[in-house]
Amino acid sequence: MSIFLQLLVVGLATGAIYALIALGYTMVYGIIELINFAHGDIFMIGTLVSITILGLLGITDTSHPTGLGLVGIMLIAGLGSMLICAVLGVVIERIAYRPLRNASRLAPLISAIGISLILEDVGKLWKGNTNVPFPQIFPSTNYHIGDVTINSIYVFVFVVAILLMIGLQWMVRSTRIGRAMRAVAQDREAAALMGVNVDRIISFTFFVGAGLAGAAGFIYGLQYGGTIFSIGFQLGLVAFSAAVLGGIGNIVGAMLGGLLIGVIEALVTLIPDSVIPHGGDPWSRAFIFGVLILILIFRPSGLLGQHTPEKV
Amino acid sequence: MLISVNSRNLMPDRDERVLLLKWIVALLVPVVAFTFVWSGEEIVNQVFLSIFSPDANSYDTLTIIQATIFIVLFYASVIALAGYAIAADSGRQSILGLWLDVLVFVLVPLLLIVWTSNLLIGLTLCAIVWPVYFYVRKLVRKALHYTPHPPPVPLKDLKVFDAQQQTALMRRAVVGGFWFATAFAVVSLIADIIFFLTGPFPTMLLIWVILRTILLPIVGYFLGHLGSAMALRRTLTAKTNGNGNGDGRNGTKKVSSRVSRRRQLQSLSSSRAQEESKDLVPNDLPLRSNGAQRFYLTILVAFVLFYPVLDPILFGPGTAGRLSGYGDAGYYIILALGLNIVVGFAGLLDLGYVAFFAIGAYAWGLIGSTQFTALTNIPVNPQIWPWLFWPMLAGAALIAVFWGVVLGVPTLRLRGDYLAIVTLGFGEIIPIFFLELDKYTNGTNGIPGVYSPAFPGIANWSSFTPVPYYYLILALIALLIFVNIRLRDSRLGRAWVAIREDEIAASSSGINLVNTKLFAFGAGAFFAGIAGAYHAAKLGVVSPDNFSPQDSTIYLAMVVIGGLGSIPGVIVGAFAVYALNLFVLAQLDAIASDPSNFLHGILQIFPSFTFGDIRNLIFGIILVIVMIFRPEGLIPSARRRRELHHAETETVEVGALDPLPGSGEFEAVVRVE
Repeated sequence: MSIFLQLLVVGLATGAIYALIALGYTMVYGIIELINFAHGDIFMIGTLVSITILGLLGITDTSHPTGLGLVGIMLIAGLGSMLICAVLGVVIERIAYRPLRNASRLAPLISAIGISLILEDVGKLWKGNTNVPFPQIFPSTNYHIGDVTINSIYVFVFVVAILLMIGLQWMVRSTRIGRAMRAVAQDREAAALMGVNVDRIISFTFFVGAGLAGAAGFIYGLQYGGTIFSIGFQLGLVAFSAAVLGGIGNIVGAMLGGLLIGVIEALVTLIPDSVIPHGGDPWSRAFIFGVLILILIFRPSGLLGQHTPEKV
Repeated sequence: MLISVNSRNLMPDRDERVLLLKWIVALLVPVVAFTFVWSGEEIVNQVFLSIFSPDANSYDTLTIIQATIFIVLFYASVIALAGYAIAADSGRQSILGLWLDVLVFVLVPLLLIVWTSNLLIGLTLCAIVWPVYFYVRKLVRKALHYTPHPPPVPLKDLKVFDAQQQTALMRRAVVGGFWFATAFAVVSLIADIIFFLTGPFPTMLLIWVILRTILLPIVGYFLGHLGSAMALRRTLTAKTNGNGNGDGRNGTKKVSSRVSRRRQLQSLSSSRAQEESKDLVPNDLPLRSNGAQRFYLTILVAFVLFYPVLDPILFGPGTAGRLSGYGDAGYYIILALGLNIVVGFAGLLDLGYVAFFAIGAYAWGLIGSTQFTALTNIPVNPQIWPWLFWPMLAGAALIAVFWGVVLGVPTLRLRGDYLAIVTLGFGEIIPIFFLELDKYTNGTNGIPGVYSPAFPGIANWSSFTPVPYYYLILALIALLIFVNIRLRDSRLGRAWVAIREDEIAASSSGINLVNTKLFAFGAGAFFAGIAGAYHAAKLGVVSPDNFSPQDSTIYLAMVVIGGLGSIPGVIVGAFAVYALNLFVLAQLDAIASDPSNFLHGILQIFPSFTFGDIRNLIFGIILVIVMIFRPEGLIPSARRRRELHHAETETVEVGALDPLPGSGEFEAVVRVE
């Protein structure tokens, strides 16, 4: 039981990161119905940007800032990564997606795949094709609740992710620009007729989505202590399936899907070698997608997605 | 045909002289370039020398026969094309315009290929030159306020040919073929005399030179007839076959079933008829019409068919490596054709196509290797069952189909992008299975020693002799193109297109959505299974590295870049992506290490730089650029082109809302209660 709870904790922390990335997918999909393949790679760029900012601040693995210094460094690195990724997202939208707004559905998809390949090689050229260490600045202490050990980094990651998601939910639900985003997602032409600047709202959506990916990149680095140029595509796929699992276009669904997939991924490692060869760990992605396929068969619009009847 | 042309009357009229000049120059320059700048003459001379002095040549008989067939087909097609073009030309395109077109689209590729002495790199450079040319042309036209195309000819103005006009047309074709061949003979003669005077020239060849000079005009005369037949078939005749008022040649039944071409055109939608009428004679752009394409196709088929023989003559040593590369490009073409059914015809977004490819490869890898004997103790090896590959080619495809159906049955009810994510997941899961079930598949090491196919008379299928694989993949591609075309034109194919366009309307018209989609999925999986089995046999190893989930996106890119739903398009797309991603970009390093090349400069600035590192970067940039500037793909399908064309010509009624609401005019027009 305790190992189960332990894995649950790990799963929730991982899932929080997935959820943050999934939010970017789901927002973009909700507003322009595009699977933004480049989103995972924006997240990867986010991890690299965080490392670079920490490097510029003179942080190494051995330096352990405390108190206000720590808060300041974390804020600079986190916000810097968010800002750079957000701008990157807007630029990508402007260059690769906006000219294709009225083309066939697959054209922006291919263009997104192209951007994904470009970003991957940019990451490779920038930091090399090996694992890049991430300075461990966050003080790591273990809290014991019963048999379960909770690392302070997990708590931090989880809290930051949840706070960002709440912030996003508040923005979409209660602000003027959030209302505009929902309007554009619902009916772009009608929104335009009501005086919403559609291009600006789509840009803003990319700004926010990519910014969340930047934040995810920063906390991913804190949690795992390293990154590599190829994580973008892999994590992106998992995060995208999290978005679909929760019902694509639905923000709460993306959070739920992300957490669920994180937990599934962690719990799968419990499966022993005797059941499937090599145990559950190497199969985790197969399980994730298997669960996804099963859920889609029984709930074709995802967990929280509303089933919209097709209009003629 | 009742009409004939007197062979004594071959002097052109005054009107015809301009036309002849226009076309003879346009076609002669590329042909002469092929013959004398490139190695066309080399092939001819080898053929001739081997016939008359068998000791002197270094090629075997089979090579010579193949080269002869190619040469004959090539020159015959070009001469007949000259006849066709002269007969079919409406004379609307200016001489300079035609020459410029030929220069850019025929001569430039030819010279680039000769210059780089590499087919793929030459064609890739063309892909850079052409957009630049289009861009410059657009700028120049804008600066000169020049509108390029004359307004489209209304369908009513189509010229109907009576017997007299047909005779004139035929005469023009024959005269054209004759004079083109004669001009070519004269140019060749002059070139050979120069060779004779300047350098060593086998005297035996002089016989050939004389023979050729006499023969060519005669051949030209008859090939001109062939060209005229091609042109005549595309004229509108005055015969009204519809009411049995035909010329009596056809049986009565046939006459009543044949509708005159003109009436057919009238019954079509205007945009479609407009497109069909572009292929009719007389024609503004004869080189782009359907009739000329027959000749290109002949040349292309001859070239592809005899390529293994021509390659060493045209490009020098290194044939084995190039042929092996083209064999690999071949399975990309098969994958693109298969994915085209799923994505292009049926409109189902499949992001996990690599799974079926892997299943096909492992199907042959597990059965056609020592692995099968090791696992089951049933002896299967080439000594016992040499022919096993052939049934297993179909077997592997059917296994892939089975898994396609297993995946499709529960998931094909999902809409659009949900289906995409399910296939994406499938593409992730399958390689994991092959990786982790290492008891059967050896995990990351893969299955070594996969058997090659066997075929009576061909002993050596090793990877050092890629010729058998080249022909195998050629045969497979030909078969699958045929299947693809037949599927597209079948009832099922039309159902796919209907689903792609509008699912609800299709299902209201009585199409069973799930079954039809399942057929598309199955057909796509079938193609991938065949490609997989071929891949396993050619490589000799099946390992999970060859089936990265990311590859599915590359396959999708091939289809979309080529043109969704267009069969020639996806073939070109597959070849282009293969050439670019796996061949040209992989070779850039080798080119850059050559100090005489301009790319070498980059290495001097960044010493540790390799192009291998930025392969994806370049490929990604090209993907984005192609999508932005040509979102419909390189060769869009006819239907799609019509749609786009239709959208272009649809004019918005500007005056519709002219009187503003609230103005007096508006009140006068619109009665407000």
